[in-house]
Amino acid sequence: MISAYILITMLPGKTDKAIKDMRQLGNVAKISIIAGEYDIVVRAQVKNLEELLNVTDKIQMIEGVTKTTTQIIEKEISLQ
Amino acid sequence: MIIRKKYLFYVLAITSSFIAAAVTGIDSFVGGQSAFKYDPWAFAFSLFFVGAIVTLLISLVLGVKIHGKSLGAKILDPSFKQLRLVKKSETKYHLVAGLMNAINTVGYCAIVSTVQDPSVILSFSQIVILYLLLMESITEKDVPTLVEVQSSVIVTFGAILASISLSGEFMLLPILIVFIVVNPTWAVFSIYQRKLKLMKINNKPNDSINIRFWNVVFSCLFTALLLFIFDLFTSGGHLMAGVTAVINPFYFLILALTMSTTFFSYVLYIRSLGMGKASVNNAIRASTIIFAIPFSILLLQLGIITEFSTDPVMLIIKVIGMVLIVMGIISFALTVVKAYIFVTVKTGRPLRETMQKLWNIRGVTHVTITTGKHDFIVKVSTRTLVKGYERIIRKLDEIDEVKKYHWESVLKDWEKI
Repeated sequence: MISAYILITMLPGKTDKAIKDMRQLGNVAKISIIAGEYDIVVRAQVKNLEELLNVTDKIQMIEGVTKTTTQIIEKEISLQ
Repeated sequence: MIIRKKYLFYVLAITSSFIAAAVTGIDSFVGGQSAFKYDPWAFAFSLFFVGAIVTLLISLVLGVKIHGKSLGAKILDPSFKQLRLVKKSETKYHLVAGLMNAINTVGYCAIVSTVQDPSVILSFSQIVILYLLLMESITEKDVPTLVEVQSSVIVTFGAILASISLSGEFMLLPILIVFIVVNPTWAVFSIYQRKLKLMKINNKPNDSINIRFWNVVFSCLFTALLLFIFDLFTSGGHLMAGVTAVINPFYFLILALTMSTTFFSYVLYIRSLGMGKASVNNAIRASTIIFAIPFSILLLQLGIITEFSTDPVMLIIKVIGMVLIVMGIISFALTVVKAYIFVTVKTGRPLRETMQKLWNIRGVTHVTITTGKHDFIVKVSTRTLVKGYERIIRKLDEIDEVKKYHWESVLKDWEKI
């Protein structure tokens, strides 16, 4: 299983609709709206890089998304 | 399904409370049976003995794989794979939690055996929140924020008002048992269950189903041991009475009913303990008092309990108590600040060591080493931004390996459940 953070920059005023669309995507484990350099962080969980490409592709197709930066997780420690 | 992250924590804690209210109702009925009414020791042992069998069976069923994922992972805890043996690193936590649960249950059974109304049983046990706040400030070196203290006091007082006996009766002995036995043991039990939930087993989060199963097993062993010693010194026959009661098919069935229901309540509670502090969890758990009311009414309808005051003053006091509980929980829910910290580190330093240093910062809930623009993505959770600065940013500044970082606060988030 591959996990990755997809850091998204949005056009102003498009976030709500984009979140609605992202919640419909498969392989998306978490979505956060954040304030700063990025507007949305999506955590994707996929079986292989091909599936990750599908997720990023679908996110880039969503209206208002101007830029995505994908950070693949190599190692993780978490409470959950 | 993807829902708001903080809802998940509250959904888990509140669902656990709802099931716990049902358990209390069932326990009132079971505790009222002739075999247990005057022997809380035997009642406690029978509960754990049957509980260990029932929990084993449920856990085995939950371990059945469906499309490569266990049933338990699908419906209760995503970290659960299958039942496993206790790891060496977990043993001391299981031993303490088991002993505390054993003592707590004996105290609880003593109350259930003497008091019939579940609303009364839950009385004053909510003060455990204040015990927990005190213990957390010592054991976790985590001084509670003003909001946490305020919310906890609101919930505690609300819980006391809401759980005052429907007949308005003040019963000294059960209250003493609550203060001296039930509350301290529950506080230690909660903290140790949380420690277990936060542990990593084979580099993966510990699961609440295994934690629950082994807790019941250790609690059963400790209860048997305590009863054996007690019987030895008093020439009593509580242990034998417990064993004899279990053999009775009717008793076995009703004990199995209460312990299987308890299983689900505890698994959700343990899972929520992994997401929030024990004091906050117990504050939310105070909602059990509200959920216990319909069960009290149901027991009254079924003729299992006979006391139920409709005195308007008493009802108003209870309503005020419930409003305070809800307000306290909402206050907890609205005062969490979460953020992502994107970290870049200097080259030539082992990433694993830096990862451990980041993980050791209090308030950090996730640390990930990532490919790409940022070397680490760290997720943090804190009550206030001031605390976030003092506890997290200052510590981050002290890590020599960190080259630069930027903090981005989470405004809203969702998580798949």
